[in-house]
Amino acid sequence: MKRSLTILTAVAAASLALTSCSGAGTGASDNTKAELTFWHGYTEADGKVLNKIVEDFNASQSNVTIKVQTNPWSVIDDTLLPALSSGNGPDIVAMPAERLPVYADKGAFVELDDFYKDSNSNLDKLVPAAADMETVNGHKYGVPSGFVPLAMFYNKALFAKAGITTPPATWSEWIAAAKKLTIDENKDGTPEQYGLGLPDHATVANGVWPSLFYGNGGDVVKDGKAVVDSPENAETLKTWVDAVRNDKISPSGLDGIAGDKLFSSGKAAMYLGGPWMSSIAKESNIDYGIAAVPAGPKEQAASAIGISMGITSQKDGAKTAAAQKFFAYFLQKEQATAWSLGSGWPPLRSDIPASAVASNPVVEALTKQSEFGRPLLPGVVNSTDVLTAVDKLTQRAVAGENIKNLLAETQTSVQKVLDTK
Amino acid sequence: MRRPGRWLTSSSSGRRVPRKEVPMSTTVHRKPQAPRYRAPAPIGGRRRPAVGQRRKNLQALSFLLPALLVLGAFTAWPMVSALRLSFTNASGFGKEKWVGFENYARIFTDPVIINAVVNTGLYALLFTPTAVALALVLALLLNDPRLPFRGFFRTALFLPFIISLAVAAIAWAYLIDPQVGLLNYWLSSAGIRIGNVLQDPVLAMPAVAFVAVWKSFGFYMVIFLAGLQEIPGSLYEAARVDGAGAWTRFRHVTMPMLSNTTAFVLIFALIAALQAFDQIYVMTGGGPYGHTETVVMQIYTSGFRKLDVGFASALSYVLLGATLLLSVIQFVFFGRREREGD
Repeated sequence: MKRSLTILTAVAAASLALTSCSGAGTGASDNTKAELTFWHGYTEADGKVLNKIVEDFNASQSNVTIKVQTNPWSVIDDTLLPALSSGNGPDIVAMPAERLPVYADKGAFVELDDFYKDSNSNLDKLVPAAADMETVNGHKYGVPSGFVPLAMFYNKALFAKAGITTPPATWSEWIAAAKKLTIDENKDGTPEQYGLGLPDHATVANGVWPSLFYGNGGDVVKDGKAVVDSPENAETLKTWVDAVRNDKISPSGLDGIAGDKLFSSGKAAMYLGGPWMSSIAKESNIDYGIAAVPAGPKEQAASAIGISMGITSQKDGAKTAAAQKFFAYFLQKEQATAWSLGSGWPPLRSDIPASAVASNPVVEALTKQSEFGRPLLPGVVNSTDVLTAVDKLTQRAVAGENIKNLLAETQTSVQKVLDTK
Repeated sequence: MRRPGRWLTSSSSGRRVPRKEVPMSTTVHRKPQAPRYRAPAPIGGRRRPAVGQRRKNLQALSFLLPALLVLGAFTAWPMVSALRLSFTNASGFGKEKWVGFENYARIFTDPVIINAVVNTGLYALLFTPTAVALALVLALLLNDPRLPFRGFFRTALFLPFIISLAVAAIAWAYLIDPQVGLLNYWLSSAGIRIGNVLQDPVLAMPAVAFVAVWKSFGFYMVIFLAGLQEIPGSLYEAARVDGAGAWTRFRHVTMPMLSNTTAFVLIFALIAALQAFDQIYVMTGGGPYGHTETVVMQIYTSGFRKLDVGFASALSYVLLGATLLLSVIQFVFFGRREREGD
């Protein structure tokens, strides 16, 4: 009975492997030839460019083959744990950067400290803030495949109609423009056009409110301590909650997906988003412009959307070495430039100037903003709970609850999350 | 395994089906139940039970084996490993440590979990009575021979049950979307504003419960219909002769005769309510700020977002225990009523 169970489980696992990740785990016994599986969530045009880079890499190698599997990011996140724990997972996996510490802390990834010291790895050329995303408990666990600060997308047609010629550069200009662009024609209290799409939860890469906090000199977590409850953050919340509740510059209760829809349907004149907004806007025939997130009273900064790639720790040394070879290849100047142009994300190397990617105006614009990018909760192992706490804070604040109490409450819960290991 | 009493435990899902009240011929949308196996009397009498019986047992076992293997691999074994995991801090990546009852202790002290438990209770209170009452009322209407197009209505009302709950949730989320929703558009042209229902801390829970009711009442309705059709018409005739009005007939004939079916439907609906997840995950993600966060949502978040598989397993076991306990209470309650009724 026990044996047949084992056989059945093996059969089941094999059939799962066939359907979900063909080829994973096969050929691992041969030391000279390494066959790796790479999971990533670049499902659009960017995916084709990445797959081309992988193909070129395969062609350049005699004994390493990388097979790519593309799935939406959320599917990767949902299937990685069962896949890895059953031994059928990928060898390399890309994921949103704030998810990396969660997995790294549980021992899912190979530590890459030595690889970072290796001069052939090209990692010393990385944009420094991008490299910061990969540190967990003092060690490096991943290599970035994308790092871009949130940017402001604006609807040029609506700007022209309102007589605004340049995108706002400071908070006060920003709010003034948003008020001007908010139109309630039938005076029923619900504007037909909003100045800004400001999600209050599940925001774009969870970065909208952290960006606003940075602008006024605040933050969420600093050096492993919760710093949510600060006078700066209270002021930030008050400013924006007032603008949403009283001036109705944005609908309340918006999330990132609804925000995308609002902007692409031309109902919001401004929106904070990632590089993909340019293709969404193009598809919806919206004449858009890209500007940096306007500077706050204290600082100009924006939370960055990051994607990290890790090497799963279930594999042998030969595969780890092969995966590192790929990372080094991926970060070469030529590949990094091609990847940037193809994906629409700014280059990961600090030695590629904006002028080198000028053939793609979106990338050029985003590259110029790179300096404002700050990684979101780098190294915070329980980022899930911290982000939930921030979501609750902003959502309840926009719903009109007492900001002071909310901040104190959030401070306690975030600190508790950071303390529990 | 066969227990005395009126319940036959279906093997695959552990769901219970009243044997007498849902005959094979009804249109209940589920896997047909194999009739109870009765061994034919052995040829040549029961003279040599040892050899013949053993062979029969082996034969029976060989027929059962495929199903048993599948059940063992995909139900029993995961359950046993989950029980073991619930006493560890497992993440699914090999590193794990025995932590005793720490996970279970956390369940009863963590305010997030307690919030989820309260929400699940609230959801069950919203969902169970509504779905069951709606199913009963519609079953009574459909059972009336005077109703025209009965077959059409029966099919139409059952239709939502065939759709996956996740798909239904996506459709409803679109319908009630405050910006692009059709329902909001129609209502607002009639001067009614329902606002952003899914982001309203008070309305979000009723909204997700409503979608589940809409999707599943058809199933309960069909079971009620089957139960209603089992009631002999002579009872109603006799009641009519005794001068019983419609309400009295319902109260004193229909309800008692339907009590088994009602018990089944209630237990079924309650179990479904305690496992609320799909439409909540799709429509609100547990929001606004935790107001629709249920226990199963927490199991998912702990296991797949935070990779805290040990804790998620413990929470699953607590939910299993609670479901079992509530089902047993209902079962005993209805069993007692039945005996008193007799």
